[in-house]
Amino acid sequence: MKVISFVALILVLGFLFLSILVLHPVGEPVGNLDVFKARSSATSDLNNIDTMDDYFLRNGQRETGANNIVTTVVFDYRGFDTLGEGTVLFIAVSAISMLLYQMLKKKKDIAKERAFAKGTSRIVGYAAFFLYPLIVIFGAYLVVHGHLTPGGGFQGGAVAASGTALLLVGALITRKSYSTRKIFSFFESFGLFIFIGVGFLGLGTAFLYNFLANGNVDFFGKTIEFGTNPGFINSAGTLPIVSLAVGIEVFFGISIILVALYNATKKDKMD
Amino acid sequence: MITITSILFIILCIVVIITALVALFFRDLLASIVSFAAMSLTLTVIFFLLDAPDVAIAEAAIGAALTTAIFVIAIKLTRRREE
Repeated sequence: MKVISFVALILVLGFLFLSILVLHPVGEPVGNLDVFKARSSATSDLNNIDTMDDYFLRNGQRETGANNIVTTVVFDYRGFDTLGEGTVLFIAVSAISMLLYQMLKKKKDIAKERAFAKGTSRIVGYAAFFLYPLIVIFGAYLVVHGHLTPGGGFQGGAVAASGTALLLVGALITRKSYSTRKIFSFFESFGLFIFIGVGFLGLGTAFLYNFLANGNVDFFGKTIEFGTNPGFINSAGTLPIVSLAVGIEVFFGISIILVALYNATKKDKMD
Repeated sequence: MITITSILFIILCIVVIITALVALFFRDLLASIVSFAAMSLTLTVIFFLLDAPDVAIAEAAIGAALTTAIFVIAIKLTRRREE
């Protein structure tokens, strides 16, 4: 059995290494540039563009108003793929939560649970109690400043969800968490709902169209010129809203996964 | 041109491959998980050296914290030694 798996590993590795020979160079468009010419307005800079990343680097800041071109590609130019990613995460969280959530029904079980947990790891519990708000605040910082500095919805949500893993280690979450499940799953659905809702709001032009960017409206609509600037949070249209929605969904979804997996472990083997 | 950065990059790539292979050959699954976390950490540094800070943040948060926690809970549900 090990020989077969080793041979399969060598075959897959060979296939992957051979595919390096047929890769396109970095940034070369697979199709043609007519798709971008259809989207661009009169003020777009279409000179000297021969690869796809040239288009994004020259026009991304002016069209969307954000400084972080990676986030504009993820949430604005290719926002529909990000919607697919959010849906896949939602489906995974639903499947795990459906299979693994066991709730303690009797009150004496819950009390015994909490006493056992408090006895084992007091020092780690206190440290986790102080560190958890800092971790969540750092994750929220990454989410909110996603259009200015490296970060975004997924990164900030994952960092904030690692705080929940810290709470599990410090035994601050026991297995009683039915009401926690209801609150968390409400917020997770709320995040994905805001994403789809913002997409439908731009339906005058297209689904997920950035209708707030460069509009000189005070709600995330500051016009940004090409070049370096100190970074304004009040810019980039629907990008911070969608980033916030995805950050909320990722944080609560991964917290549900962690608590559901922890709920499924046996009571007497806690170490 | 061979600079310190490119030597460091080659060393980090070799470390990724070594820790990934080492994770396969342990009998104790907890050591295997630790090796997997080390691979994720080294991969984060490689992503940063390739000028991709967004991917580096995501890989650091997910690979080092979340995947390790989920794997540890998973082996608590099953066996710890693999035969």
